[in-house]
Amino acid sequence: MIEAHGLTKKYGEKTAVDDISFTVRPGIVTGFLGPNGAGKSTTMRMIMGLDRPTAGTVTVNGRRYAQHASPLSQVGALLEARAVHPGRSAYQHLKVLAATHNIPAQRVHDVIGLTGLESVAKKRVGGFSLGMGQRLGIASALLGDPSTLILDEPVNGLDPEGVLWVRNLARYLASQGRTVFLSSHLMSEMALTADHVIVIGRGKILADSPMAAFVESASKRSVRVRTPRLSTLLPAVEAAGGVVRLSDDGAPEGDKVATVTGLDSPAIGEIALTNGIVLHELTPVASTLEEAYMELTADAVEYHAVDIHTPNTDGGQR
Amino acid sequence: MSAATPTASRPAAAGDPHFVSPFADEKVNFLRMLKAEWLKLWTLRSTWWTLTLTVVLMAGLALLFSAVIQIMINNPGGGFGPENGDAVAAGPDLSSVAVLVVVIGYQLAQLTIAILGVLVMSNEYGSGMIRATFSASPRRLRTLWAKLIVLTVTTVLVAVVGLALAWAVSYPILNNHGLTVDFGDASQVRAILGTVLYLIMVAWLALGVGTILRHTAGGISAVIGALMVLPMIFGLIVAVAPTVRWVGYINRALPSTAGEQLILGDAMVGFGPAGGGGAMASGGVAMLDPWVGFAVLAIYAVVALVVGAFVIKRRDA
Repeated sequence: MIEAHGLTKKYGEKTAVDDISFTVRPGIVTGFLGPNGAGKSTTMRMIMGLDRPTAGTVTVNGRRYAQHASPLSQVGALLEARAVHPGRSAYQHLKVLAATHNIPAQRVHDVIGLTGLESVAKKRVGGFSLGMGQRLGIASALLGDPSTLILDEPVNGLDPEGVLWVRNLARYLASQGRTVFLSSHLMSEMALTADHVIVIGRGKILADSPMAAFVESASKRSVRVRTPRLSTLLPAVEAAGGVVRLSDDGAPEGDKVATVTGLDSPAIGEIALTNGIVLHELTPVASTLEEAYMELTADAVEYHAVDIHTPNTDGGQR
Repeated sequence: MSAATPTASRPAAAGDPHFVSPFADEKVNFLRMLKAEWLKLWTLRSTWWTLTLTVVLMAGLALLFSAVIQIMINNPGGGFGPENGDAVAAGPDLSSVAVLVVVIGYQLAQLTIAILGVLVMSNEYGSGMIRATFSASPRRLRTLWAKLIVLTVTTVLVAVVGLALAWAVSYPILNNHGLTVDFGDASQVRAILGTVLYLIMVAWLALGVGTILRHTAGGISAVIGALMVLPMIFGLIVAVAPTVRWVGYINRALPSTAGEQLILGDAMVGFGPAGGGGAMASGGVAMLDPWVGFAVLAIYAVVALVVGAFVIKRRDA
């Protein structure tokens, strides 16, 4: 259980985290989403007591992190940046951490085995790949067999097998009654892993709800339409309040796919019938976490990239 | 914790599925932190490099100086020895030559010990290891004190080994000329103990500076600058303005100049590293007494550690 109340972090004039309150519950995987610079990593560092909040408090299992007598058994964290000296081996690194809590050598071997690091455990960490480094970070987080896990971008640099492994691991740990707090930019992966999402943008909480409800509520559902008489149908759909986006402008009219939002499929079907237009496809498209997320954070993105397709989509939309 | 919150509909404890770690009763204590810091220190190659170099420098410098003294004694015209009647009053007092040869390595050993002291903290910030360290033991001051103790013990061990080797390599040469360390002479014993104490203070100063600056290159530059460059600069100033009193007051209060009085003290007359400086700081100002000088160095070291303690507690990791 992680509880934040009025948590705020300012770096000079800039407010990284702005008066946020949330609870991360045990027994489920809670996803932490947000654009780069939204305050995710800062929040996680404040939970770990590494950064001092400007205002507010955050507790794990009812206490501030520094007040735990056995912190590694309470919280295991994989933070964004590497937290390993490159000159030590994976084994030595884990032994050092284990020594602070008198964790037996057997547990060190167990987490090395669990994270698949046996073959490189005696090698210096400086030569590790990104994926190996992540695995060592996860091994460090699991070392104290903690009741709360904080994983910042755990699948970063992992191969598809590793991504699947992290997903299963996170779900397994939560099923044991642990609190699992996970951030990721991979929306499809997050949709499969998390039961609950907290979305942060520009330092504020934008959403805090169960995954299913978030995907449902926060997004416009859309309908895919294909017809050889698109030019006749589209004005009628737009007149009825639908917003149309066309795919692939170069294709002949009959192959174009129109994505309609604002109208559901029965309404579009009836418009087609009224106008005597044959439809080749009329498919309701379930919204995804990615769409829900993009929609919610569109205004909160800190660092905008220039969209190279902008002229095309504009042409199709208006 | 507050009982009712807007976001939490359920109470924290009862009712929730709650996992309890099998290690929940394994508490962090200072002894365990010492063990972790000891492991940390000895699992890095930089430690072995700096400490091996420390011992080699101490023994090597002793060997070099013994050889030089042997040559000078065998060539009485070279300006050394009882036959030399000019300049330095009645010639240098040779009774303390042997102990000076044994301890002289501190001049270079302070460099490697300073590097080690800075690294002990700065490498944690440089690599990000500090986040793992503070996650495992969030009471940050205890981390600093654990490092301080581990570093002190290591410095003592290395200084003792270095001094023993320095004595062992110089003894066969100097003994031929009847020059041996007199372990019954209080000032000679003070020079040997003083070398250990001096290096401890260098380590403390370096750890403090490393904690304040958190940066390896910056930390090493600062400590080496304070210990070795400042005395060189003041050596030049003294040469240019030998009669200015305040130059002397500053010169004798420099960390290394003050602290090394415990090693060199009165035995140093005529042998000063700055040449003819003797026991004078400049402008007629005498060097500090051995223990006073050492106390001045200790104040620098303790101030650096106190500022470091403040910084480590306040700043984000």
